[in-house]
Amino acid sequence: MSPNDDQADVERVLAGDISAFEGIVRRWQGPLINLAYRFCHDRGRAEEMAQEAFLRAYRGLGQWRKDAVFSTWLFALATNLYRSELRRIPLRIVSLDDIAEPADTHASDGGLEEQDRNLAVRRAVGALPAKYREAMILFYFHDMDVTNAARSLGLPEGTVKARLFRGREILRSKLPQMLAVPRLKEA
Amino acid sequence: MRRLIRHDEDEINRILSREDEILPSSGFAVSVMDAVRREAAAPPPIPFPWKRALPGLVVGGLTLILGLVTGVMAIVQLGRASTTAQLSISLTSVLTTVFQRTMESAASWTVLALLVTFVSVKLSMRLASGRG
Repeated sequence: MSPNDDQADVERVLAGDISAFEGIVRRWQGPLINLAYRFCHDRGRAEEMAQEAFLRAYRGLGQWRKDAVFSTWLFALATNLYRSELRRIPLRIVSLDDIAEPADTHASDGGLEEQDRNLAVRRAVGALPAKYREAMILFYFHDMDVTNAARSLGLPEGTVKARLFRGREILRSKLPQMLAVPRLKEA
Repeated sequence: MRRLIRHDEDEINRILSREDEILPSSGFAVSVMDAVRREAAAPPPIPFPWKRALPGLVVGGLTLILGLVTGVMAIVQLGRASTTAQLSISLTSVLTTVFQRTMESAASWTVLALLVTFVSVKLSMRLASGRG
């Protein structure tokens, strides 16, 4: 994926060649669908949200200022859309207090299996208040890059760092036993 | 303690950075391009004709304000007259008087309402037919 390809396609689309937009779709469909999937954990809905994001990108191509990389602009637009979509039709969120903890983490099989633990942690992220959840989703989507996460969210890096810190604190307080399992094994 | 927090953070990072990737469905790009082509083929949305509608809106707004002010003033005047004439007057009798006065001026209100309706119908027809 080269930024030059994006720029060339955008210029062609703006000049009236709609078919050039297909290059943009093919290059960015994977990332945009996966980002949507992290927000909603529903494949069908993720594709619908990604399609709407591409349509909005098409309508707003002229607003892309070339001082930023095209992908940064596209992710910010998509993130904004996904956030408002989920505000409009929220997910059925399980309360943080209702997320299952292992009954006995000292059991011979280590209590929850690793897969279950991972699932519970992801559900716990989904149950965080929106501002912490969004910061965490974007941070991990961008391979733990705070700068890119902040750009996508349109927030200062300091704010994103603070939200990540607070989000992790909430997770730690709600899932102490789960996070303790590997530590007990190591001891 | 710091080590424990660090360990938890590593654990959270480890779990959340391994999110499963999903692949787009085979027809996704085609479906997006169909939507884009439909979008491009659709005529641009007709903007609301503020210039043409503004006089009507202003007249309508002023009429509404005038009506409200007149009504409030009538009630206040009636209240004052009633207070001086009879301190023990009941709310029911005040309302009855207001109703009677309103009925007396009903003819003028009806004429005004018909006039406003006529103007708004004419204005709507002009806007709909696109004549300036």
